[in-house]
Amino acid sequence: MSRRLFLLFFIMISAVLLSGCWSQRELTNLAIVSALGIDKNEKGEYVGTFQIVNPGYVAGGLQGGAGGQSAPVTVRKSTGDNMMEMSRRLSTHLSRKQYFAHTNLLVIGEDLAKEEGILTILDVLDRDPEFRTTASVVIAQNGTAEDVLKALSPIDKIPANYVLKTMKYTEERWGENIDVALHEVITDLISPGKEPVITGFRFTGDGEQAEKLEKLQNTTPEALLQADGLAIIKDGKLTGWLDGETAKGAVWVLDKIQNTAIIVNWKEKKAAIAYEVIRQQTNVSAHIKNNTPSISIHIRAEGDIGEVTAPVDLTDEQTLLKIEKKVEQEIKKQVDNSIRHVQKEKADIFGFGEAVHRSDPAAWKKWKHEWNDLYFPELQVNMTVDAFVRRSGLRNKSYLSEVENNH
Amino acid sequence: MPSFFKRKKPKKSSDNHPSQSFDSSLTANLDIIKQKTGNSPDVITRTLKVGTNPEIKIALVYVDGIVDGQSINDFLIEAIMEKHDLGDLLIQQEAFEIMAEGVVTIGSVKPVRDWDELFSSLMSGETIVLIDGINGALSADTKGGEQRSIQEPSTQMSILGPQGGFTESIGTNTAMVRRIIKNPNLWVETMKIGKVTNTDVAIMYVNGIANDKIIEEMRKRLKRIDTDSILESGYIEQLIQDQTATTFPTTYQAERPDIVAGNLLEGRIAVFVDGTPFVLLAPAVFIQFFQSVDDYYTRFDIATFLRLLRTLILIISLFAPALYIAATTFHQEMIPTQLLIVIAAQREIVPFPAFVEALIMEVTFEILREAGVRLPKAVGSAVSIVGALVIGQAAVQAGIVSPAMVIIVAITAIASFATPAFSMGISIRLIRFGFMTAAATFGFYGIVLGGIMLVVHLCSLRSFGVPYMSPLAPLIPANMKDTVVRYPWWAFKERPRLIASDENLIRQGEDQQPAPPSDRGMVNSRTEKGDRNEP
Amino acid sequence: MEKAKISAYQLFVLIVLFEIGSALLVPLAIEAKQDAWLAILLGMTGGFFIFFMYHRLYLYYPDCLPTTYVQKIIGKFCGRILAFLYMIYFLYLAARVLRDFGEVLAVIAYPVTPITLNHAFLVLVVIYTVRKGIEVLARTGELFFVLIYLLAISGFILLLVSGLIDLNNLKPMLEEGLSPVIKVAFTQSLFFPFGEAVVFAMILPYLNNPKKAKIIGLSALGLSGINLAISMTVNIGVLGVSQVLRTQFPLLSTIQMIQLAEFLERLDIFFMLAVIVLGFFKISLFFYAAVIGTADLFHIKKPSQLAFPIGFVLLFLSIIIASNIMEHFREGLQIVPVYLHLPFQIILPLLLLIIAFFKNRKKRGQGKPST
Repeated sequence: MSRRLFLLFFIMISAVLLSGCWSQRELTNLAIVSALGIDKNEKGEYVGTFQIVNPGYVAGGLQGGAGGQSAPVTVRKSTGDNMMEMSRRLSTHLSRKQYFAHTNLLVIGEDLAKEEGILTILDVLDRDPEFRTTASVVIAQNGTAEDVLKALSPIDKIPANYVLKTMKYTEERWGENIDVALHEVITDLISPGKEPVITGFRFTGDGEQAEKLEKLQNTTPEALLQADGLAIIKDGKLTGWLDGETAKGAVWVLDKIQNTAIIVNWKEKKAAIAYEVIRQQTNVSAHIKNNTPSISIHIRAEGDIGEVTAPVDLTDEQTLLKIEKKVEQEIKKQVDNSIRHVQKEKADIFGFGEAVHRSDPAAWKKWKHEWNDLYFPELQVNMTVDAFVRRSGLRNKSYLSEVENNH
Repeated sequence: MPSFFKRKKPKKSSDNHPSQSFDSSLTANLDIIKQKTGNSPDVITRTLKVGTNPEIKIALVYVDGIVDGQSINDFLIEAIMEKHDLGDLLIQQEAFEIMAEGVVTIGSVKPVRDWDELFSSLMSGETIVLIDGINGALSADTKGGEQRSIQEPSTQMSILGPQGGFTESIGTNTAMVRRIIKNPNLWVETMKIGKVTNTDVAIMYVNGIANDKIIEEMRKRLKRIDTDSILESGYIEQLIQDQTATTFPTTYQAERPDIVAGNLLEGRIAVFVDGTPFVLLAPAVFIQFFQSVDDYYTRFDIATFLRLLRTLILIISLFAPALYIAATTFHQEMIPTQLLIVIAAQREIVPFPAFVEALIMEVTFEILREAGVRLPKAVGSAVSIVGALVIGQAAVQAGIVSPAMVIIVAITAIASFATPAFSMGISIRLIRFGFMTAAATFGFYGIVLGGIMLVVHLCSLRSFGVPYMSPLAPLIPANMKDTVVRYPWWAFKERPRLIASDENLIRQGEDQQPAPPSDRGMVNSRTEKGDRNEP
Repeated sequence: MEKAKISAYQLFVLIVLFEIGSALLVPLAIEAKQDAWLAILLGMTGGFFIFFMYHRLYLYYPDCLPTTYVQKIIGKFCGRILAFLYMIYFLYLAARVLRDFGEVLAVIAYPVTPITLNHAFLVLVVIYTVRKGIEVLARTGELFFVLIYLLAISGFILLLVSGLIDLNNLKPMLEEGLSPVIKVAFTQSLFFPFGEAVVFAMILPYLNNPKKAKIIGLSALGLSGINLAISMTVNIGVLGVSQVLRTQFPLLSTIQMIQLAEFLERLDIFFMLAVIVLGFFKISLFFYAAVIGTADLFHIKKPSQLAFPIGFVLLFLSIIIASNIMEHFREGLQIVPVYLHLPFQIILPLLLLIIAFFKNRKKRGQGKPST
């Protein structure tokens, strides 16, 4: 019995010792990739840009970490005919193993997205168990992904975090851009009834300056990254951009608006009242009549009066109703513009097709192959908007009305 | 002294004592005693002469230090000397009966039949009375001598409740429990175990509450013991447990009479061993080791909070270093990005893999702990200063370990000390190393496999036939009230099943939940307005 | 047969853990697309009937294992062969479940570690458990049952709070009509996992309260069916049908989506490894049935002695049944249900039941006049 026990023990120990090195990754051998950028060069190869965190310089103040002395990230480039080759070739000039589990940002160069499309590059990211499909996707507007990844940022030490947080808060507070995760892009790419939109990031200022550490010592950085516009992807290719209010209108339809400001005029005065949306709900439904689909959108917004630059009596119920009406019109205008613009692009980024699919699966089967080119551009969209003013901040009437009375 | 000491030692022939009967000559008897005790100077022989005609010699033999000198003086020597007509009476053969009935004024006196018995009672502190010319002996219970007084227990502290702990004397200890449970059903059985040490061992239970089968099993297991010495209750524990291939304690060691009383009332059996303040309680179940007496003295909400806290403590002290190893060497994706970068920055200069780092720190800590226990108090503080420097500051500054690891080891150490039962704390500490190894080879998969193995092992254990994980597994809903959560006292309708006797499970009446008087005026009805100077 | 008894609650726990087991991992009934939940529930009702069958057999012979009573029903020689085939069937299923979990491990966290080694350690734990007997396994089940449910509930709450569940993904309901759903229900989800509960025919004789067997079996199957339906609904709600169709382990992908407070994210490893506990129970139960049945068949006094040798067979089997994960899943979906599940779960028990019915009627008929 004891011999058997000994044998078992021996087998266990040797198994444990032998297996010790498999699948194990020490932290000191990992290059934590915070963001991945993909471009295409003249030769038709993929160019990958890897933003790799330099832990010692990020977590400054620790022993061994001379915080602030060196850049918090290092950016490496590599080329290859497909993604895997490109990624593996990087190891020729990287002393550690890339680690993608913490990659939260994927940047795609505009040229690549326009010419070749994004379909081919996403499979490896979807398949690889290490890479997370919850990573956000961004398109580098007017430039390459490399430019976006190279730029250092003043407050957030890791530039990828700068992009991610900018996107998150601008979605939350302004609503012209949305944070889209990789898995959402893939789902939309597959679905015949919805096309993806991806936020664009643009580079402003001097490109050479952006990657220098010294620029962070200025109060006004000479070069900055800026979220700008929504890219429309059709059949995997970038076909156009939505900017400013048209982008915001699209975000309304997508039900992604959280807080935003609606500016309306009041009695000749331009931009007299700012209405701050605090809550909204958008419902999209499809109806089929006489074998033609139509879409109805219902938007319900609640909000506060954020700013008044004209003498408006907010205590008056009629005035409030009027303001609500104006806000409704403004939202409707934005959304209408946006829908018309997108219909010209022939790419159903709103998911109207899916709404049709849900309400009449049989009819959808006939239409789905030609949805984007034939049915979507001709789609009848009915819209109702309900806006409600709930509060008006700390004041009711503006002091402006007092000033006016005095004159 | 209590009568339970009278029970005869189980008849095991012992070869170093002559079993022949006594000689009638006093000097011959005394010579034999002298010879058998190797002329030890602490075996004192006091010879008295009584009567005038004839003059009879009486010898008192006792061992110095373990007898109560006062009572020998007062109740033996004086009583014998003052009885002037003793000489005449003692000629008869029934001399010892006369002595016992008429002369000696000590509580417990009994005749001694043979040498075996004589030596065993002599060595346990009784005084032997021998009379010249009569072949026989008498032993008078004069146990006494220096003893530690009742003090606060050193291992099982509590804030509330009685503060007295057991002492090394078995008589004092049983008496302390009797003072709590004043009931004739509190039964005690004694026996002597250990061929050389002849240690007094007593089992105590409440008749009618304790399960008869378990009592019988306990008797059987104690009788089975055939060893030369029992020096502490730990000896007994290791000789009577159900399964030996386990690190978990299957009997509970109590140092406080209130713990013993509480457990006796739940149907458990206590084993007292002379010479140690630790009393064994059996059967013991797993969750018992995570309960403390305080839980029962405080209100249930507080007690429940403390028990949940202890569950957390158990998880931390078992898994914390293993989880750290697994997360930093296998599953870095689990760690939030910011935290990962911070840990990575710390690990950057550490020359060891995480497992080795953790092992170094854990072993260092264990060494420090061991040193802290063994060292004299005067040196103890020096150790703690050195330890604080080694474990904390210096190791980090030298770049041997990372600060995160120090935090992990520190929290684990504190958690393992916070486990109420020492014996459980130490076995958890041992298992922790197993989990660390599993985590280093297989990451979380190793931890999960180890966890399954641990639970299977725990479920396979039994303590005196009672499943170790009860009432959790097998699930006994009625007894779940006193596990991870503690219900208020008025909800404890039943004693633990499987442990207590099946016929007597109900421990309190119905409707014990207190409620305010239905008529709110009742309290104040007799006080007239104005009596209490209210406005 | 071991000298052991398990309580009704313990049987309930074991059935639930067993049923949820590996079914939680794979895209169950996904060929019914967004109506997968319906297919699962239909399969569950079919599972009830299978359970009735061997419950009936159990009532005829409440005190002996199926390996013994098949010999009573169809004679010693044929009975032994059939019982032996059943043991091989159970062992094969244990190997399949083992392989399922081995593949999960290889994909999510241990790509380099040889799969044999991962299997070997799980098999060691299973052998250790089975040597301890059914009582210990049942008690372990009670403890892990609570743990698994706590984890499941917390995971569900996390998904709910992060607002990931989009019930629009479940629409349109019955897009292709009812027939594809029924087809999936009775060609797939009936056999896996509900029909696999046939292994509990080997466990039922240990029940200390035979009267409760029926209600316990049905409620446990019901609970696990509902749970599986919920889990599949959540998967589809979070990922959408197309992604669930593409993925091999939908639960893994679902949990990957959780992102809360920038802290609770990438929890998939944690949850998946908790799921291994479920796999452990499923393998243990199959393996226990194989061991105890073999011991009964060959009159071996101590079944635990068989644990090691059969354990090694299990290990080998789990490696050689398929050369890659695609083959493994294809076998599981196309070959096993038709050639193994159908005869062993339905046809053979039904035949046995019919023969047993006539035999016992005859017996009762003969018995009556004499008493």
